[in-house]
Amino acid sequence: MRKLIALGLLVGVLNTPVLAQKNIEFKEFTLDNGLHVIMHQDNSTPIVVTSVLYHVGSKNENPERTGFAHFFEHLMFEGSENIERGQYMNIIQSRGGTLNAYTSNDITYYYELLPSNELELALYMESERMLHSKVDITGVETQREVVKEERRQRYENQPYGTILPETLVRAYSEHPYRWAPIGSMDHLNAATIEEFQQFYKDFYVPNNATLTIAGDIDYATTESLVRKYFTEIPKGSKEIYRPNVIEPKKVAEIRDVIYDNIQIPAVIQAYNLPPRNHPDSYALSMLSTYLTGGNSSLMTKELVDKQQKALVIAAIPLELEDGGIFIMYGITNMGVEPKDLETEVDKLIKQVQDQGISDEEFAKLKNQMENAIVSGNSTIAGIAENLAEAKVIYGDTQYINQVMDYYSKVTKEDIQRVAKEYLDLNGRVVLYYLPKSAQSATE
Amino acid sequence: MKKLAISFVLTLLVTVGLFAQVDRSKLPASGPAPEIKIKEAETFTLANGLKVFVVNNTKLPRVAFTLVLERDPILEGDKAGMTGFVGEMMMGGTANRTKDQLDQEIDFIGASLSASSTSLFASSLKKHQDKVLELMADVLYNPTFPQEELDKLKKQSLTGLAQSKDNPQAISSRLAAAVLYGKNHPYGEIETEASINNITVEDIKKYYQTYFKPNIAYLAIVGDMSKAEAEKVVNEYFGKWQGAEVPKFTYPVPERASKRAVALVDRSSSVQSVINVTQPVQMKIGDPDYISSRLLNQILGGGSASRLFMNLREDKGYTYGAYSSIGSDKLVAAISATASVRTEVTDSAVYEFIYEINNLVENGVTQEELDKAKAELSGSFGRSLEQPSTVASFALNIDRYNLPKDYYATYLQKLNSYTVEDINATAKRLIEPDKFIITTVGNGAEIKEKLEQFGEVTMYDNMGFPAKEITMEDESMTAEKVVENYIKAIGGEENARAIQAVKMKLEAEIGGQKLGISMTYNDPEMRYSQSTSVSGMVMQTAVLKDGKGTASAQGQTIEMTSEQVDGQLFSSFFIPELYVFEKGYTAKLDGVQDVDGTVAYKVMFSSPQGATSVNYYAVDSGLKVKNENAVAGDTYFLDYQRKNGVLIPMSQTIKLAMVPMPLEAKVISLEINPPLTEGDFQ
Repeated sequence: MRKLIALGLLVGVLNTPVLAQKNIEFKEFTLDNGLHVIMHQDNSTPIVVTSVLYHVGSKNENPERTGFAHFFEHLMFEGSENIERGQYMNIIQSRGGTLNAYTSNDITYYYELLPSNELELALYMESERMLHSKVDITGVETQREVVKEERRQRYENQPYGTILPETLVRAYSEHPYRWAPIGSMDHLNAATIEEFQQFYKDFYVPNNATLTIAGDIDYATTESLVRKYFTEIPKGSKEIYRPNVIEPKKVAEIRDVIYDNIQIPAVIQAYNLPPRNHPDSYALSMLSTYLTGGNSSLMTKELVDKQQKALVIAAIPLELEDGGIFIMYGITNMGVEPKDLETEVDKLIKQVQDQGISDEEFAKLKNQMENAIVSGNSTIAGIAENLAEAKVIYGDTQYINQVMDYYSKVTKEDIQRVAKEYLDLNGRVVLYYLPKSAQSATE
Repeated sequence: MKKLAISFVLTLLVTVGLFAQVDRSKLPASGPAPEIKIKEAETFTLANGLKVFVVNNTKLPRVAFTLVLERDPILEGDKAGMTGFVGEMMMGGTANRTKDQLDQEIDFIGASLSASSTSLFASSLKKHQDKVLELMADVLYNPTFPQEELDKLKKQSLTGLAQSKDNPQAISSRLAAAVLYGKNHPYGEIETEASINNITVEDIKKYYQTYFKPNIAYLAIVGDMSKAEAEKVVNEYFGKWQGAEVPKFTYPVPERASKRAVALVDRSSSVQSVINVTQPVQMKIGDPDYISSRLLNQILGGGSASRLFMNLREDKGYTYGAYSSIGSDKLVAAISATASVRTEVTDSAVYEFIYEINNLVENGVTQEELDKAKAELSGSFGRSLEQPSTVASFALNIDRYNLPKDYYATYLQKLNSYTVEDINATAKRLIEPDKFIITTVGNGAEIKEKLEQFGEVTMYDNMGFPAKEITMEDESMTAEKVVENYIKAIGGEENARAIQAVKMKLEAEIGGQKLGISMTYNDPEMRYSQSTSVSGMVMQTAVLKDGKGTASAQGQTIEMTSEQVDGQLFSSFFIPELYVFEKGYTAKLDGVQDVDGTVAYKVMFSSPQGATSVNYYAVDSGLKVKNENAVAGDTYFLDYQRKNGVLIPMSQTIKLAMVPMPLEAKVISLEINPPLTEGDFQ
């Protein structure tokens, strides 16, 4: 279900004959400097969201300088030639707005949500960031400290917090997906100011960005304001670096134990996925829902409710441009050995591979899908993000209105087929997370 | 032609003009403020008293039904935690559907359905509306409250409680609730193992039968539904719901402390202190100070630009974040200022909290701060209107708090009318800087003395009860005497030494499975073996003999290091107190402590290689009540019974770091001086 919600947020709603739901309407244009602009008008609430998606994530990093993309997500709030250090957030908040940003392996995304009479402010702020952000020693040093704290809070101090980096490093041997966006503190410490400035010049350019404005707007006014603030930003001079690495297919299982500050053991399995825009992605997303979406899903019912071997079990396809991972994690119930839980998980995977799913379960899946996709576009912030990703990841903004079609094409047989094809026990990663106390007892 | 040319030039000029206008040195001004229209909810009331609010919003083909019960808070007493089970128990099956069927039918239409002790929530796509209402009504009218569901929930709850006892945030919130409201107030009482175990299916049934009544209920319908349709479906599904009188309760108003004081929980493993500077406050929505208290709090500690954050994080770097809140509630709420800070700066951080609170009350706020707070709160009010459910909650509040009908329609107007003087007056009315309680969870040895400057320090335990202060009455006591008394208490040295070998089996239940522990002791020979099994399958074994140790698990056998052998040695004796001194152990008496209600001597045994084992012996009976072991966990000894003239504990409670629930292990077989073979130690 989690996956479904995430997916809804990412891709949006489509008109279905049964629902006769309106398309998400939008207008788009591209400036001479390559900045792509998408606008969506919805005047029902006097608010506007302004976002910029930079097509740069941790996969675009130099393997010796990991963590740069995420570090920039911090650095880009330091200010610009016209915005004083530390004032970026303050300015937005004191005009009644809120803002945030995130970095993935593929993209960096910034957005502001403001009262609709502050649209010009939002465009000004984003254009300042794109035109001449401050990339200097003071900013780099301040943000190094903040990122250290973030590491502590979100990875080192967080029970199971290292699951993603520990899984990625084993799931990939060649592709830059082998490191997580948080990257390496040593790399950040070693980097010179010139390297940071170069990264900004390479990736924070209009021809690598998509500006999306959604909410209580007027198309003509918005377009002229966009032109006013973004036209003068020069196009990047180099071709954007995009890694062209094919991850070799794994033929042997990789198995490891991680000792963490936790009370209860966890079992993690990860299987490599096809590229995000591959037709099988839809069937795999439905498979994850079949396995763990909702109280009646196969694994939740069997392992949490009936056998009570797991406290929680979840299957999440982490979809990435060049092929992500299907990650499953189960937290064991009191006194249950990880091995015992893993055996049961494997039995259920085999069951799907051997027997497929019933007609009733397939009908249920379609209904769950439909609900999640419809609900995914309930906020303008969600719509803006879905529009931007449709354009950047799927190559066509109109994709936002076609998602349901793609799901409709998935058959019952597809689900069994992708379970066999991708959940291959011989190419997977298996991690046991065990309490540190268990380490001292056995070593 | 000329005209055309002119207009062409004009166009150029305009274009050029536009570019020339980009003055990046100044922030663009705000446009004219947009009109914020708040839709009104439509409302009607059924004959049985159910009040219904309808917010029709057809943007998405969805509809949500939220049923809320408006009852007085309940003091649960020795069944604290009961109301927390009601919702999931209602979802545990109905007269028409087992839990499995219910789960399947909800998921089948991609819907949500959930319950709590005061609410029921259902949502789905419009086309599945009838089905989701049918399921919601089934849960509302026909829950069966299965015993096995309660057993499962209790287990989960006890697991959570066990984990929370070591969680500083959880300890801090229990402590604050206790000092703010007292343990005999609905907001101050807490659930314990005893109160959870005390809850029965009957209690939950009785609660359900008493409180799930339409005359205290609101139903909010948000989404794709007109009022006319709402009237039809509400009558169909909720029209026959029978009303009944529901009990009302009043509680004394919790008083503020007479002077500033400190409440401290000693958590010796802490590297951070969780600080909460707090006092109760009478505040609810609609109070004349309500809106101004939002503004006041925004300035003090409402966000990342507030005074507390700027001072404690940005300026001093004591913490990752410092915030404040002024709660609101019909009964009573709290003013709180909180942060987690490094142990070394605990007192400095408390000093800054007190400084900021005093400064706010004495010197007030500035116009600039107020303007900023207004913009922040107006913005968040505006954003909240994107969700149609906000309109429903406004309608609900107007009714629950008897607010004027236009309270939310004029909310922004009111918010923007407050002056600096208004806010300063509110600060003086609400906050009494010298009557705060400073609750702290942290390393007592490091911080207790330093906190004394802020007021009298009272110690509490991790459940928010005052810590028992115990002093050793018999000053002449020594470790050797404690051990001597123990041997005497169990039946004397002669009887004890006569036990040369023991085979003992313990059994406990975890997660619905039987855990078995078999042990063979041979104290004079210093031989020991142990095997642990789950549901009859041997999971691990350990053997100690000839000064060496091996451990096997999952088909792997490893040799223990000499350090590990040393660490296990004490626990490998059936009666270690008889033998360890010969092995060079020393014992030290470390005062008396409260061990789950028993006052006991704490004796620390140390081996020549440095391994330690801490044991507790009851002051009154002399019997051993607890053993602490860094590797094996804590073991409590209970139910002593006389066997072969020696008192032996027939029940053990084992707390392992790896297992969040204490294991209740019972002796199911005990053989004293059985014949032993080499095979017993392999």
